Amino acid sequence: MLETEVLSKVFKGKVAVDGVSLYLDKGESVGLLGPNGAGKSTTISMMSSLIKPTSGDVKLHGKSVVNDPDSIRKVLGMVPQEIALYEELTAYENLKFFGRIYGLKGEVLKKAIQNILELVGLEDRQKEVISTYSGGMKRRINMAVAMLHDPEVLIMDEPTVGVDPQSRSHILEMVRKLNREKGLTVLYTSHYMEEVERLCDRVYIMDYGKVIASGTKEELKSILSGEETIWIDLDRGSPNLVMELQGFEGIQQSTETEKGLKLIVPKGSKLLGKVFQAAERHEVQILNVNVQIPTLEDVFLHLTGRKLRD
Amino acid sequence: MKSIYLLQWQRFRREPVLVVSFFVLTILFISVLAGFGTDNKMTVYTFSDASLSDSDRDYWLEKLNESNEFEFQTTEESQARQAVAEGEVSLALKLMKEDYLIFVAADEPGRYLVEGYIHQIYSEQLRLNEVENQLVGGEFHGEVERLLAEPSLTVVTSSLEGEHGSYESDGQLQVLFGMTLFFSIYTIMYSLGKIVEEKQWGTWNRLILSPLSKTQIYIGHLMYSFTIGFIQILLIFLFFQYVFHFDIGDRFGTILVIIGFYTFAIVALSMLLMGAVKTSQQFQTVVPLVATSIAMLGGAFWPIEVVSNPFMIALSKGMPIAYGLDALKGAAIYDRGVFDLVEPLSLMLLFGVICMGVGINLMERHKA
Repeated sequence: MLETEVLSKVFKGKVAVDGVSLYLDKGESVGLLGPNGAGKSTTISMMSSLIKPTSGDVKLHGKSVVNDPDSIRKVLGMVPQEIALYEELTAYENLKFFGRIYGLKGEVLKKAIQNILELVGLEDRQKEVISTYSGGMKRRINMAVAMLHDPEVLIMDEPTVGVDPQSRSHILEMVRKLNREKGLTVLYTSHYMEEVERLCDRVYIMDYGKVIASGTKEELKSILSGEETIWIDLDRGSPNLVMELQGFEGIQQSTETEKGLKLIVPKGSKLLGKVFQAAERHEVQILNVNVQIPTLEDVFLHLTGRKLRD
Repeated sequence: MKSIYLLQWQRFRREPVLVVSFFVLTILFISVLAGFGTDNKMTVYTFSDASLSDSDRDYWLEKLNESNEFEFQTTEESQARQAVAEGEVSLALKLMKEDYLIFVAADEPGRYLVEGYIHQIYSEQLRLNEVENQLVGGEFHGEVERLLAEPSLTVVTSSLEGEHGSYESDGQLQVLFGMTLFFSIYTIMYSLGKIVEEKQWGTWNRLILSPLSKTQIYIGHLMYSFTIGFIQILLIFLFFQYVFHFDIGDRFGTILVIIGFYTFAIVALSMLLMGAVKTSQQFQTVVPLVATSIAMLGGAFWPIEVVSNPFMIALSKGMPIAYGLDALKGAAIYDRGVFDLVEPLSLMLLFGVICMGVGINLMERHKA
């Protein structure tokens, strides 16, 4: 339905996006992951026709969006990272204005506004000005504006940044419902891996402007299928222990965590004995050991050598 | 386009403070500077030093008091200095044999008017004195006075500007037009500055991604700032005409056309400024600098006709406010119609078209 073909963007000699090709089938929910500066927002901006690519193309139903930006604008809902609302107006007035510019009028507009307010759970606050809303409520109206005209494709650029857990849960549930029940095609970018795991069927991982891996969640996790993650809680932090373990044969990755350390090791390897001995040498007490199958976060770390929120 | 235009009015209704405050400020400034529409003359306390005899002092005072704008009152030096220091009067004048000194407590816009006037009278008289001194035994000064009073030939000069020549001063209208056009720059620029805010907040991208064309979005904003600027100027003129009985003449239609051309020029200048800045904070900083510079150079604070420096006069030619004031004075004082004002109107239009073109181009380049 929507695809990019070898999409690139260069800003003042600096390559922001480098030959990105990805696609979204109708009704699919696709995640776009990457650390800050990976090129996610630039890719999204090109896909939505906000900026022109330096090279490559974006196609909607096989037709170039670069040559005909209006084709995507009518069917696209865009949820930007920032709160793109008129703060001095009420939620109802914001929705009414944005509905009008999409050609909605009269009863159809009124009904659309009431439906979307119900969906985001703010029908009882619709007459209050946006500046009085909490961060989470603003985010929900930010989304409501993007969905008011019943788009075919919804592109969301980190829509839950700075949102309280209750609002975040509400937003995720709402997107999931629209995707599953209404067949809305969703492209979702986030720093929060658990959101992508919960919402998306397929995932693209970007770093330094390129797609470095893609596939279903299971396919991506299978990159680390021969491995397992060991979480070790320690009584205190010990960078020296982490460094020593990194040099152990068989330990693919050793990282310091909040509670202790995390190891990625080949499945079935019997390294725990050596780890205990090393801990003793460094006079660090092991409080807990937890062996886990790999998550997307582990895959990301494995592929980029960086944490998602770095 | 209509939605964007109506949205700006809706936003204005919610937050009218800025526009209303500029409206009120304009009225306050005009009321204070123009003396609430009464026939008040600006009082200048005047004293002389020992180099001037009483008869000479009276002679200068008589000459100076021929003005319709100022009243030169004789007083003691100490009293004049104290009055200026305490703000009772804006300035005082010290007369000397071949020179004068003006005492000003703070930067008082009116001083340029007074200074221009005194300079004119002094230069004229001193030139006559010099010629008289060079003529042996001639009573040149008295002869000139007599000839001026009883000319052997009477020449009636008639020009487009009227019998007073190219410059007829009207202090009230100068203040009314100058201050109104000056404060309207703020209203127009801050109203149009919403575009920069929208770009920062992200609502601009929302509009771009909607089915509206970029032209429709721009025109909606431009029309709003044009309307609000036009209405502000018009309301202030009407207010002072009907409440304080300022005489702005009978050419009301012409004045409406002038307001339209001037407002367009300032809207276009705002676009140029927005193209030159990147954030709304930068824009907020630039607006007062530009507005004050334009007003000072363009003759909003004092008549451009009293400026003699050729460089300053040349600079004023690049200021739309100078053409706006010229056209307004032409219509109100000299009873000129639209066709007589083609030159200042065309120059404002040209200024507007250039600024608009360059401004939109710069704004779009930022985006790319």
